[in-house]
Amino acid sequence: MLHISRWMKKEVISIPVNSSIRQAIQLFLDHHIGTLPVVDESNHLVGILRLQDVIDLGMPDFIHLVTDFDFLHGFGAVENQRPDPAIFEKDIKELMIEAVSVHEDAGLFRTAALLHKHALRDLPVVDNEGRLVGIASHVDVGVALLSFWIS
Amino acid sequence: MTLTLSSAVSALLFAICLALIFSEKVHRTIVAVFGAVLMVAFGLMFGFYNEEQAVASVDFNTLGLLFGMMLLVAMLEPTGFFEFLAVWVGKKSKGRAASLLFLLSLVTSLVSMFLDNVTTVVLIAPVTILICEILGFSPQPFLISEAILSNIGGISTLVGDPPNVLIASAAGFTFVDFIIHSLPLIIFVWLSAFAMLSWMFRGDLRQPSPNAEAIQSLNPQEAYTDQPTSRKVIAVIVLAIVFFFLEELLKIRPALVALAAASLALMWIRPNISDLLKRIQWEILLFFAGLFVMIGGIQQAGVLDIFTNLIVQLVSLSPALAGLILLWSVALLSAIVDNIPITITLIPIIQHLILPGSNPSFLWWALVFGAGLGGNGTIIGSTANVVVVGLSERTRLPITSQTWSKRGLPVMLLSLVVISILYLLVFQSFS
Repeated sequence: MLHISRWMKKEVISIPVNSSIRQAIQLFLDHHIGTLPVVDESNHLVGILRLQDVIDLGMPDFIHLVTDFDFLHGFGAVENQRPDPAIFEKDIKELMIEAVSVHEDAGLFRTAALLHKHALRDLPVVDNEGRLVGIASHVDVGVALLSFWIS
Repeated sequence: MTLTLSSAVSALLFAICLALIFSEKVHRTIVAVFGAVLMVAFGLMFGFYNEEQAVASVDFNTLGLLFGMMLLVAMLEPTGFFEFLAVWVGKKSKGRAASLLFLLSLVTSLVSMFLDNVTTVVLIAPVTILICEILGFSPQPFLISEAILSNIGGISTLVGDPPNVLIASAAGFTFVDFIIHSLPLIIFVWLSAFAMLSWMFRGDLRQPSPNAEAIQSLNPQEAYTDQPTSRKVIAVIVLAIVFFFLEELLKIRPALVALAAASLALMWIRPNISDLLKRIQWEILLFFAGLFVMIGGIQQAGVLDIFTNLIVQLVSLSPALAGLILLWSVALLSAIVDNIPITITLIPIIQHLILPGSNPSFLWWALVFGAGLGGNGTIIGSTANVVVVGLSERTRLPITSQTWSKRGLPVMLLSLVVISILYLLVFQSFS
């Protein structure tokens, strides 16, 4: 079996659970990434903060309410809006989703299926104690599978 | 009336069920079904009610009319017709807040006169939020006005509001009766409510949009996703309305018209039936049926005679005063609790009134206006209010019950004052 640990990124950028949204934004900017695993003091995975959840802070409300907005060709006043900066001082706990992870010994298909099921782009990889040891993006996993198919 | 064991048992059961419905601890449909079964069981046990009487007390006219209209709306819903209307009038407003408020409220009210106003609000409110956001307006004034004015609009026709359907069926009112007696009065009420809402929201409405030209980026045609189906359903609805007008001439009941229209549309469009039936509000139909059976029980047990006598005494003092008292008490009750059980309870009471030298039409109209207007006062007063508030809770500016009371309560009181004056002015025409 192809273990995910062979394909994952071992240098993970993670964020301590008691950080603010502003600190998370800085990490997203500095490292140009889309997912931040949230960890406690002993590096146990406790949640996931996705770039899209942070972006949602500034998204217009209607995108969650209308069934489609194909008839809308410009977002007008929305384009000039920024979220209230006070919201950046809030805890990331308010935005993060519950922890989803895969064990480092898991296979590629299990990893791919979990990414698909939870609509994630990156999946944290943990060891036996639930400590964060890596992260596998859907591109890492997909490319690994493709290379296996044509080998 | 002497207090018998039957009347005591049935009245107690009904009171407990009403309390459960109004407390909202158990879903009202579950209470209605459970209560109906118990009422029949007690009826058999104490000999005041049986299965045949229970079935006979279900008003199939009301259920048929509601079901037929629900089927038509369910066919129209996925076609993008409602979204198209909202986007179209949004564009017509040219991004001016006051015009937007008027046009959106008007279109919601007009549609609510013929189709279920909850569906109308469910589909138009999200587009309202979209238009407000691209224009940089707060959606609150628009959402509150849409709900309140569509509730008012619904009172003007027989099919506009479930209490109207119930009352028309019991009183024998036709579609034309509503056009003659309700519509003209409701136009005045609508205009005064609109004026008051525009005045209360004048601060918001004066703000120019920072992006008025954004309205040009809307393309109504693109929101209208299934025009062929929509045209067919609308053609059938228009045909149904024509037949509603001919009700007396052709001696047909509105339920038959609605069911015939729905069958015609079904045959013409042939939609996926299981998807369509999922969009029918079964819980409302079942709720009505359960309440009918319960009310039939307490009526057979003689409980309602007390209230009938009370109204007879009031009417003998002054018919107009009795009408106004009924209108206001129903309205104030409807502001805090569901107006459907109130209407269903009052119907047999008024139906069995024997008034010397007059018919009780003026009381029926008082019930129509009271049940229709009362719901505007509070956040929970009508289903449209609940829907709009539910949507706003998913935005950054949720409508709180304080906000609603600050805006809705004054509008409700004003509309009740206006309707009371009009009611007295045209009182003679009611009987």
